[in-house]
Amino acid sequence: MPGTAADTATEGTQMSESVVDTVSHQTGETLLDVQDLKTYYEDGGLLGGDPVKAVDGVSFEISRGETFGLVGESGCGKTTLGRTLIQLETATSGTVSFDGTDITELSGGDLKEWRRNAQMVFQDPESSLNDRMTVGEIIREPLDVHEQGTARERREKVRTLLDQVGLMPEHYYRYPHQFSGGQRQRIGIARALALEPEFVVLDEPVSALDVSVQAQILNLLEELQEEFGLTYLFIAHDLSVVRHICDRVGVMYLGNLMEVGPTEQLFQRPENPYTRALLSAIPEPDPTVQVDRITLPGSPPSPRDPPEGCPFATRCPVRIRPEDIDASDAVWDRIREFRDVIRERSRAEQSIGERLKERLGFDTALADSEEIVDEEFSDVDLPRDVREHVEQAATYLSDGDPDAARAYLREVFGGQCDTETPQYYDVDDGRMSFCHRHAQEHVSPGDELRRRGYDTHDG
Amino acid sequence: MMETEPTEDIDQPLRDRLKAHPGPALLWGAVLCVLLLLEGPTYLDGLLGAIGYGLALLPGSPGAEAFASASAFFGELPHLLSRELIPNRGYYDGSAWQGTFLGLEPKYAWLIRFLLVYAYVAVLLGWLWYGYVLFRRHYRAADWTPTDDVIDRLRSHYWGLFGLAVVVFFITMAAFAPVIGPTTAEENIEGPYSYDMQYYNEDTETVENITIGEANLGSASRGSGDSNVGIWSYDDFGRFHPVGTLVSGKDLFTFLAFGARVSLFIGLGSMAIAGVIATTLALVTAYYKGVADLIVVLTSDSVQAMPALLLVILATVVFKNHWIAELYNGAMLFILLFALIRWPGLWRAVRGPALQVGEQEWVDAAKSYGQRPTVIMRKHMAPYILGYLLVYASLTLGGVIISVSALSFIGLGITAPTPEWGRAINIGQQYVASQSWHISLIPGLLITLVVTGFNALSDGIRDAIDPQSEGAEGGAAGAAAGGGGG
Ligand code: SF4
Repeated sequence: MPGTAADTATEGTQMSESVVDTVSHQTGETLLDVQDLKTYYEDGGLLGGDPVKAVDGVSFEISRGETFGLVGESGCGKTTLGRTLIQLETATSGTVSFDGTDITELSGGDLKEWRRNAQMVFQDPESSLNDRMTVGEIIREPLDVHEQGTARERREKVRTLLDQVGLMPEHYYRYPHQFSGGQRQRIGIARALALEPEFVVLDEPVSALDVSVQAQILNLLEELQEEFGLTYLFIAHDLSVVRHICDRVGVMYLGNLMEVGPTEQLFQRPENPYTRALLSAIPEPDPTVQVDRITLPGSPPSPRDPPEGCPFATRCPVRIRPEDIDASDAVWDRIREFRDVIRERSRAEQSIGERLKERLGFDTALADSEEIVDEEFSDVDLPRDVREHVEQAATYLSDGDPDAARAYLREVFGGQCDTETPQYYDVDDGRMSFCHRHAQEHVSPGDELRRRGYDTHDG
Repeated sequence: MMETEPTEDIDQPLRDRLKAHPGPALLWGAVLCVLLLLEGPTYLDGLLGAIGYGLALLPGSPGAEAFASASAFFGELPHLLSRELIPNRGYYDGSAWQGTFLGLEPKYAWLIRFLLVYAYVAVLLGWLWYGYVLFRRHYRAADWTPTDDVIDRLRSHYWGLFGLAVVVFFITMAAFAPVIGPTTAEENIEGPYSYDMQYYNEDTETVENITIGEANLGSASRGSGDSNVGIWSYDDFGRFHPVGTLVSGKDLFTFLAFGARVSLFIGLGSMAIAGVIATTLALVTAYYKGVADLIVVLTSDSVQAMPALLLVILATVVFKNHWIAELYNGAMLFILLFALIRWPGLWRAVRGPALQVGEQEWVDAAKSYGQRPTVIMRKHMAPYILGYLLVYASLTLGGVIISVSALSFIGLGITAPTPEWGRAINIGQQYVASQSWHISLIPGLLITLVVTGFNALSDGIRDAIDPQSEGAEGGAAGAAAGGGGG
């Protein structure tokens, strides 16, 4: 491939520059230490149901002065994680220690007092500002809540803030309606900075803005970080923005951090299979370069019912297969699809009505279990043992017990990825990846991907 | 618009801005004072009287006497809109009218007072509006606020303005009931045999004394023969009746004016209570969701499942001799009953908007810097649902007025002698086809007009706060908006 080496070289130099640049305001001292954090929502109605496991055991640290990026598809729990860190959501378990204090334990006056330290810039500038209040009132409210200074001093402070975020003091008495999206976001930033916090969660702060405005806001955020020594948690799904602004990045999938590490290393040499898939979705700047993208099959499982073992196991292109079954890649693909279908039929996906029927003992059998099997496997040659297993599962299915079918399939076709939760492996300097394949006894994710015919970034 | 002032002044509080430029505000305030003083005794009389009435209900009635006498004292003081200043009652002594305003015919004397009342209210409201305009021009720091748009839309919404005019007409009638009628409720309706009047006896050609009760006997509208005093006519005793008399010979206009008081009092009172309940519950359920929401849904469903009219009828019977039914001849009981029955409807109307506003990020933002939940609900959520509340409350208010009249019509409800429109309709029912048709028809038309007025006003407010709903004439969009509201 022409130019690859050269590209890498230039990116390499850019990287070292940006690292030097960002390190200048990092102290290396830990500001935020998150340990095994879980945030579940119990939004079940009368009939209960499983909680949504939005954040399902996440650990990482953020050092003072750095920008920590959090990426992942929508619904992966990154926003919930950000909201939990500033105590907009209550953690189900785990700890978040901020400067040594476990903030999940705070309540009442202590919590309110702590809130000065951590603020948030919201995603949607249309929704983040109360349209019935003037810009001045909006930015002043945090100061009023914390009773900072006299009324005159607060107004003075608001005007300073307006100036700092690039607006005019005479905007004080305007209403949000009179501003563009970018300006509204500046107002939101001013409000977040009013209490002079140390830590700011930026929840996709530019995703709702025009591309031309995005750069301005990002620059503003960087300037403000410089000026006030802020620590950022930057939540985004636009990977190029993350690469531009973040010092370190965490990649989230289904409530778990799959990989954490310094931005440039992670972008250049992703380790975790999920990170690789995510990055391969970035359009290649050079259209002549042919890349076989890693397209993920299926959709992410429901966070009410995440897979046991590795969260990515249902879609992972390099999932570890059990050794006692010998089948072709095509057959394994069909097995995965078949398991997806059954997963969707099983308990977590049932409507309340169906759940009620089941409780009352009505038959919820699937009349079409034969059809499903046919559809999936008619055009491939199944080895004998695989066929037997599939038929057994189909029997459970036609007995109206998709749960049993699902458990059975996991039993016979599930490898280590289906049964054991991976651990974090140190894969690089300061980088960790959440995948069994980093263990000694397995082929590494990169090698396995290439073996299965995918292009990889670190090729 | 604001003049180009130095930036330093931009964040002056209102007080400082007033000080810096007091001219227009002082002038406006002075004129307002004069306007209020013209009718000052009436306002103080009403206010102190109400406080006295309230205190009298407390055990031991502390201070009730003092308030009552203070109220009476102010009631005696001269003021602009008074019967003493523009009397319309007098007698014809064969050559001229005695005792009436400037010796005019009672008809014209009354008409002048009637028009003066409306002129006064129009000037007062106009002046308040002018005050708002002045505030916008000279003292408000913001050039524009979202409310400006709402007001502008309402100003060009003629159907809504018609509704507003009707509602103001009706409220004025209720508020100035004691002076707006040709006679008073006390003399003409409640204690006619305690008061005397003079009239000119044509047979004897002398001025004679008679009790009002006796005179009423001679001015009855009974459909047949001579006994009818219709619209815009005098009775045999030289009394003018703008819309005729009742079967009992009492003045229908006076009856209607005081009836407006009762209807309005019940309507506004019950809607105020129901509105407070509905808003509080909507805010609390939208903020906390979950179990709170579920409880309120179940409660409101069970309230709505009850047959409302039956419940009211039952309650009026059960509470018949209870002290609560004594208050304002049962009006208080109705306020409580209608508040109880109607809050679920209002709550349902604002629940959707409340849930929607509860999802806004500015609510999260307020939580994130530690704003108290009560303040969040009041400042960041309530302003967005109050418009909807107003819309549905004025719709429902029409319904309450109809219900109260319906109850009086079937003989329950507000007890005689306190005037109530429904009772007039009931009384006049058998004369509808006769020359005394006015007894039923006039109050009937008034009810229709008032209810239409409230509906029109509610349409106007709805279109003003939510311009998207305008023009979606019953189509899918309208249905969706309605669904979103419920
Ligand atoms: S643990 Fe297994 S399923 Fe999970 S990412 Fe690694 S190889 Fe894929």
